[in-house]
Amino acid sequence: MNRREFLQCAAILISGATASQLGFSLSLEQQGFLASAPDYNTTPVDYFTPAQRNIVAAMAEIVIPRTETPGAVDAGVPTYIELMVAHWLNDGERAIFNQGLQDIELRIPQRYGKPFDQLSQADQLEIMEELEDAASGSEWYEFGNVMREFISEAPFICQFKELTVWGFFTSQEGASQVLRYNPMPMSFDGDIPLAPDESSWSSPL
Amino acid sequence: MIESTHYDFDAIVVGSGISGGWAAKELTEKGLKVLVLERGKPLAAGSGYLGEHAPNWKFPYQGKKPRELYEEYYPVQSKVTHSFNEGTRHFWNNDKANPYAMDEGKPFLWARADVVGGRSLIWGRQTYRFSEMDFKANATDGYGIPWPVGYEDIAPWYSYVEKFVGINGKAEGLPQLPDSEFQKPMPWFALEDTIHARLKKKAPDVTLTNGRVAILTEDLPGRSACHYCGPCARGCSTGSYFSSQSSTLPAAQATGNLTLRANSVVERLEYDAETKKISRVHVIDAQTKERMTFNARMFFLCASTVGSTQILMNSASEAFPNGLANSSGVLGHYMMDHTLGVSGIGLFLDNMDSYYHGNRPTGLYIPRFRNLNGQDEDADFVRGYGYQTATLRVDWQTGLNSKGFGAALKDSLRKPGPWIFALAGFTECLPRESNRMYLSKDKVDRYGIPQVVFDFEWSENEVNLRKDATKQADRLLKAAGAAFAIAGDDKMSMPGEGIHEMGTARMGADPGESVLNAHNQSHDVPNLFITDGSFMTSASCVNPSLTYMAFTARACDYAVKKFAEGVI
Repeated sequence: MNRREFLQCAAILISGATASQLGFSLSLEQQGFLASAPDYNTTPVDYFTPAQRNIVAAMAEIVIPRTETPGAVDAGVPTYIELMVAHWLNDGERAIFNQGLQDIELRIPQRYGKPFDQLSQADQLEIMEELEDAASGSEWYEFGNVMREFISEAPFICQFKELTVWGFFTSQEGASQVLRYNPMPMSFDGDIPLAPDESSWSSPL
Repeated sequence: MIESTHYDFDAIVVGSGISGGWAAKELTEKGLKVLVLERGKPLAAGSGYLGEHAPNWKFPYQGKKPRELYEEYYPVQSKVTHSFNEGTRHFWNNDKANPYAMDEGKPFLWARADVVGGRSLIWGRQTYRFSEMDFKANATDGYGIPWPVGYEDIAPWYSYVEKFVGINGKAEGLPQLPDSEFQKPMPWFALEDTIHARLKKKAPDVTLTNGRVAILTEDLPGRSACHYCGPCARGCSTGSYFSSQSSTLPAAQATGNLTLRANSVVERLEYDAETKKISRVHVIDAQTKERMTFNARMFFLCASTVGSTQILMNSASEAFPNGLANSSGVLGHYMMDHTLGVSGIGLFLDNMDSYYHGNRPTGLYIPRFRNLNGQDEDADFVRGYGYQTATLRVDWQTGLNSKGFGAALKDSLRKPGPWIFALAGFTECLPRESNRMYLSKDKVDRYGIPQVVFDFEWSENEVNLRKDATKQADRLLKAAGAAFAIAGDDKMSMPGEGIHEMGTARMGADPGESVLNAHNQSHDVPNLFITDGSFMTSASCVNPSLTYMAFTARACDYAVKKFAEGVI
């Protein structure tokens, strides 16, 4: 990679724009730069059925709704979940997820007369709270049990919440519009005022 | 010696990491034509740092680690969770392609880089001087052999390398942790000031000081002060932290005397029984498998402790049936590593309305405070440990498994929680003959080189040090005013996990029980120098890289003088 190409990559980093917005295309070598890669949650995926996609989006929005700031759907979380279920969960975890999703898909219309995504938010919340109550004995909820490996035996609702929360706060919208994002702080100050309503920094993983 | 011998190079340096980079710089700046052989892939400074500044949303799986990939190809390296991820993976060794004999011997984590610059790219950057007490420890308590070098011999060399490396820290005037040549220290979190004041009153036996790190707070030629982006291990195109790429290799390159050859796996050194010197190095190209040799007047092994020892063991000849330069029989023995692990975590509710700007790439440090004036009465161990600290504000990752849904959950996850101040003990390891590495009798790598086997376990002294570190951490966290403190477990880290393996070709005054003399020169083979961690006669409890750098510079100075005198 030559200096010009390197600076182009730097421009992408600093501006947050894409290469085409900045008026150039990326060389093969530049594409090796993770920072100039497409956002992960825009990777094409075709794992869920359209009906399942609607349910997943509605559920994710119940976990992290749009408020005055973006919610799970705005942040591409449904696609993130589909990608993770298709490519990241192992066979056992995927079976738990699929079974949980099918349960929502089949059981809810019998009980409410409509698919999950067409219910009122109150009904949707009630259903998800029931799932959480039923799963509340899972080790997934243990206090401080967070910097650990993905728990393979975690029930569907726990898998769903983990993927939603993770997928949200590591997304561009979640990191920069709900958390605060500064890739190039240039200095360190260990004592600045924190107002009661201010968000955490989005930290590099 | 045949005077008409034509040499390809004046000196050959094996390895381009912290030690090899320094050897390359010093030797080329003194006018020698130098070949550096690096077994890893080429890597350009700056444009080779593929993960630098990538935001979380660009990472595959948005940062969840690719479990199957790591299990299959990186089962060892991926255990280094603090710096191995998709932003750094291309720096690391592929365990499947380059294995060691993990199913023989005892468990050992051998962390390896596989690029030019070696582990200097992914190191922890903590830089501390050994003290007079450290250099006298073996002679004082009788574990290991005495160092043939005193603090006063190496102090000027510490200063010499520190000025070039660029180390920020705070002078404290402590005899057990001599001050370096410091750039201005990085600022503290308000909570750290609070804790500092409380410890001064309630635990005056300890000093809380800046982590001393090889990261610039002031510009040096060609390198900029830190921009506080955070994850150093992805590489730093501004050269703000010291690596071979950012610092020593460019300096060597600038002399016009450097030839750097990547993808160059050193199979063995060839000993000439007539001249009693090494005549050439046998190299296999990692890509083409082509074999070649290079000759030189002298050879510097800087291939990492395990790498250099493996080369010597694989260079056995009639003259040295137990491994080159191993007439003493100690080669591969007396291996050491630092035990490390969380000793205690404190949750703090102080300074809740104070926050921070920027990602400070180091914690603070509590230097050794045990057994300083002879043996402490209550200590069932010799020597000591220091704590590296970490200060962080709880964020959404800690609340990831909260109950609840909706706007309330979103709001509680986005806001900072309490402060955490954690202490991680780094404990000294005694040199013991039984801790060793050797070559497998039947397993070879893809070049036909015998694989390394480890036979290493912690002794009672390290176990007791670790227990004490946990106990004292609890005392310190309470003195610091933690709302509550969680004790670390006493579990020992896996040998190798400290990534401070050292001691397998130790230096000493007696050629009968050491491989190297006081100038890192082989007792047996005068044109062989070894300046990576294998020369270490004892381990101290501080991070060792700075000491490798200082001894490398000193050994180069000595070698070039001998070279000029025509002795080598």
